Amino acid sequence: MAAPAISMPSSSSKTESYVDNKRKEDIRQANIVAARAVADAVRTSLGPKGMDKMISTANGEVIITNDGATILNKMEVLQPAAKMLVELSKSQDAAAGDGTTTVVVIAGALLKQCMSLLSAGIHPTVISDSLHKAANKAIDVLTAMAVPVELSDRESLIKSASTSLNSKVVSQYSTLLAPMAVDAVLSVVDPSKPDLVDLRDIKIVKKLGGTVDDTELVKGLVFDKKVSHAAGGPTRVENAKIAVIQFQISPPKTDIEQSIVVSDYTQMDRILKEERNYILGMIKKIRATGCNVLLIQKSILRDAVTDLSLHYLAKAKILVVKDVERDDIEFITSTLNCLPIANIEHFRAEKLGHADLVEEVSLGDGKIVKITGIKDMGRTTNVLVRGSNQLVLDEAERSLHDALCVVRCLVSKRFLVAGGGAPEIELSRQLGAWAKVLHGMEGYCVKSFAEALEVIPYTLAENAGLNPIAIVTELRNRHAQGEVNAGINVRKGQITNILEENVVQPLLVSTSAITLATECVRMILKIDDIVTVR
Amino acid sequence: MAIERIFKDEASEEKGERARMASFVGAMAIADLVKTTLGPKGMDKILQSTGRGREVTVTNDGATILKSLHIDNAAAKVLVDISKVQDDEVGDGTTSVVVLAGELLREAEKLVAAKIHPMTIISGYRMAAECARHALLQKVVDNKEDAETFRSDLTKIAMTTLSSKILCQDKDHFAKLAVDAVMRLKGSTNLESIQIIKKPGGSLKDSFLDDGFILDKKIGIGQPKRIENANILVANTAMDTDKVKIYGARVRVDSMSKVAEIEGAEKEKMREKVQKIISHGINCFVNRQLIYNFPEELFADAGILAIEHADFDGIERLALVTGGEIASTFDNPETVKLGHCKLIEEIMIGEDKLIRFSGVQMGEACTIVLRGASHHVLDEAERSLHDALCVLSQTVNDSRVLFGGGWPEMIMAKEVDELARKTPGKKSHAIEAFSRALLAIPTIIADNAGLDSAELVAQLRAEHHKEGCNAGIDVISGSVGDMAELGISEAFKVKQAVLLSATEAAEMILRVDEIITCAPRQRENRM
Repeated sequence: MAAPAISMPSSSSKTESYVDNKRKEDIRQANIVAARAVADAVRTSLGPKGMDKMISTANGEVIITNDGATILNKMEVLQPAAKMLVELSKSQDAAAGDGTTTVVVIAGALLKQCMSLLSAGIHPTVISDSLHKAANKAIDVLTAMAVPVELSDRESLIKSASTSLNSKVVSQYSTLLAPMAVDAVLSVVDPSKPDLVDLRDIKIVKKLGGTVDDTELVKGLVFDKKVSHAAGGPTRVENAKIAVIQFQISPPKTDIEQSIVVSDYTQMDRILKEERNYILGMIKKIRATGCNVLLIQKSILRDAVTDLSLHYLAKAKILVVKDVERDDIEFITSTLNCLPIANIEHFRAEKLGHADLVEEVSLGDGKIVKITGIKDMGRTTNVLVRGSNQLVLDEAERSLHDALCVVRCLVSKRFLVAGGGAPEIELSRQLGAWAKVLHGMEGYCVKSFAEALEVIPYTLAENAGLNPIAIVTELRNRHAQGEVNAGINVRKGQITNILEENVVQPLLVSTSAITLATECVRMILKIDDIVTVR
Repeated sequence: MAIERIFKDEASEEKGERARMASFVGAMAIADLVKTTLGPKGMDKILQSTGRGREVTVTNDGATILKSLHIDNAAAKVLVDISKVQDDEVGDGTTSVVVLAGELLREAEKLVAAKIHPMTIISGYRMAAECARHALLQKVVDNKEDAETFRSDLTKIAMTTLSSKILCQDKDHFAKLAVDAVMRLKGSTNLESIQIIKKPGGSLKDSFLDDGFILDKKIGIGQPKRIENANILVANTAMDTDKVKIYGARVRVDSMSKVAEIEGAEKEKMREKVQKIISHGINCFVNRQLIYNFPEELFADAGILAIEHADFDGIERLALVTGGEIASTFDNPETVKLGHCKLIEEIMIGEDKLIRFSGVQMGEACTIVLRGASHHVLDEAERSLHDALCVLSQTVNDSRVLFGGGWPEMIMAKEVDELARKTPGKKSHAIEAFSRALLAIPTIIADNAGLDSAELVAQLRAEHHKEGCNAGIDVISGSVGDMAELGISEAFKVKQAVLLSATEAAEMILRVDEIITCAPRQRENRM
């Protein structure tokens, strides 16, 4: 029948309209269930004894990871509310870099509490407002608990970086990676803007082979590129004068279509000679400035270098690295403190960068180029990550990224809190006490919020194979007696003063986990309908 | 009796009662759909796109919801249209207008069932609308003369608008932002010069107003990162090479050196072009197209800040705010209008570097940088802020202000009731119905907040029986409160537009007595 879809001629079908409260409840229920399913999926990867997930992507690639953001990112969820949880994890990744699993687990626990509040007949907006208040209060409590940290206090920074690394696949290397992350971040802090760290100034180069042990921080520049060997050029240059060029050392090519007309064979020789002279001329100009290392930008228009030019460059004892991506040019030039050169006419000595040593190093099956001892080096750092297989390598990179983020958080907000579930239990205790002085629905909702936070120590204990109920009740007890820093020591399987165990994390990670999780839950609560649109 | 088919296959015709029924039900379904988003405690909707990517939008904005709906019902489309017009015209009240029209139709349906002719209903509605407008006009407050009070009025309106949106937790902050931005416009309603930049990260509270222009681009390598007293040339020109654009044009040469010469000549041409640009006496060059490495280096050598690949929107806005013109030829430096600004510098917002032009010629220009947890939040925040900006800019021109919280509806309902009592004949039923429809708005606001609407609206009615009463629904405390004390205000223009367009839409739908549906395109999954 061609009657309009929403027209309902008979009066009986009018009850089917959208005001029906049953439908709203159903939608909310469905959203919460879907979102909780997502949270449950990553729950087991929380904490130092959390398990990893193996994800096999549609194109057959396999990823093994413990990083919540990565797991969720690869999960192809369709349900809109579940998608919001994935987004939530991404936001935490952007805001703090670490705690991506924590934030989702907290959101899941909050949603579980909200379900029971909703079924008790509390209006969603009331729950939403109370959650907002509770979250604000939680931030105050956390800030009061936090211990200030100085950037000069390298020990504390390393401690927090290793807390983050301890829950990863590469945890046994945390003693190596943690100081590395701290040094890398500290070396790129700009004294004029002490609160800002641009992680793009830290370049992570992955190279298969060796073990994670061989990962190193390079004071200089590392390329995952080979030196061009075509004509036996040098692979090691001391006192290097480096030029970054954006033009091509190859026969000329015009933008206008052109063709060279050859009418007899003597001309062929001439043309060949001309080509040679042309290239030789270029290389002479380069040589004249004293340049002995060339980094050549990749070109899509024509060959960046030809065999012929490589030959001459090798003769001139110039080390050549070709196919440098254009995106990397800015990083390279700021590291080398030089200027890119776009035309041979502009090839001048003052545009060159200087370094003590440029060499090609063979690592396992591949080779990399290292530039060290750079004069007036910019505020950038390179980390060379090694691993025995691609999976470990990728996971090591992700873990290192998390550790870098943790240190970055500390640079922008210089406070630490204890780890091991201690802050969550303390929050739960204080909010629980606060809930008792609140009136009406608010008090009820804040109490649920406090209960939801216990999910973190509970999950930590559960993942570590401990008895979660015994541990959580014991923790509560210790906190009630005023041991603010008592937390779960997963290694020993008991409760200790977690601050003494050097398990610490940045305040920013905890606060942003709570605010973002709350914001997301509030958004899900306020939704009462899913409308399909174009 | 066999009638020959007049219509094409699958096309259909509905007449009289059935047609009216269809349009009533369709319009009411739409109204009911957005009804729950009304008021400070309104709910949000997820809009799930059926297109590629299955994008998800979470919104509370009536116009956005309605705009993206699949709709097959003719009457429902009329409602979507009035919501769109309301959005373009005043920016806010997009939900209210649809809800009011829906309620008017709901009342009309009852009247039609009681055998009152639609035309009688229409004329009753018209009288009632006119009377309601007069009631509002008598109650408006105009504080245009007093700058201080006017500003506080604007802030109150902004807060009221924002309180039903995602920004409600930080409404003080955003109300101030919006008022500052609109006051800079000095009465113009051109929101073009207020630029909104969304950057994920941070929280909504970190959003700020910047009194310059911010361009989300990078400065070329090796070029100055900070320029004072900048002369800006905004251009849209190819900076690779001036190609011969004739297909098949080619050059024949007989030696390699000639090719090199041609290449050199091309370079030379580029250099000339750059020289020409530089000779305009500029120190900042913004191009819509790419600037290749070679010219970039030339600019760097000349100490000129060159920005490539700025988007079209950005370019036009930049030209507007700096007072320049977009140039594409550079032969006559004297005819090109350059833009000026006091300072160009690179700033960092969150993780990204952006370029700020401050002290621009057009003083009205400003940029609002929104920060938020995710794209959903940012998009919704932008919509909300846009609503607030629209309403404020309209209010600057028409500074008449009313209270909010269901107060205007109560005032109107009371006057319309009076009128109904005085009017003889069947029309009085329609007028009475109009008053009931008006009362539905405070009822829905209360319902959405989970309050006892019947009780509250009755209390309100009693309060309004007194002269000069400011009572409205205080959703936060869940009782009847004094709107003047709570600082809940709304723009007169919004209310008037809601009243008039809702009435007109209802009237239009009422007049319908036949729907002819043309043969539909095949489509699955209709809602």
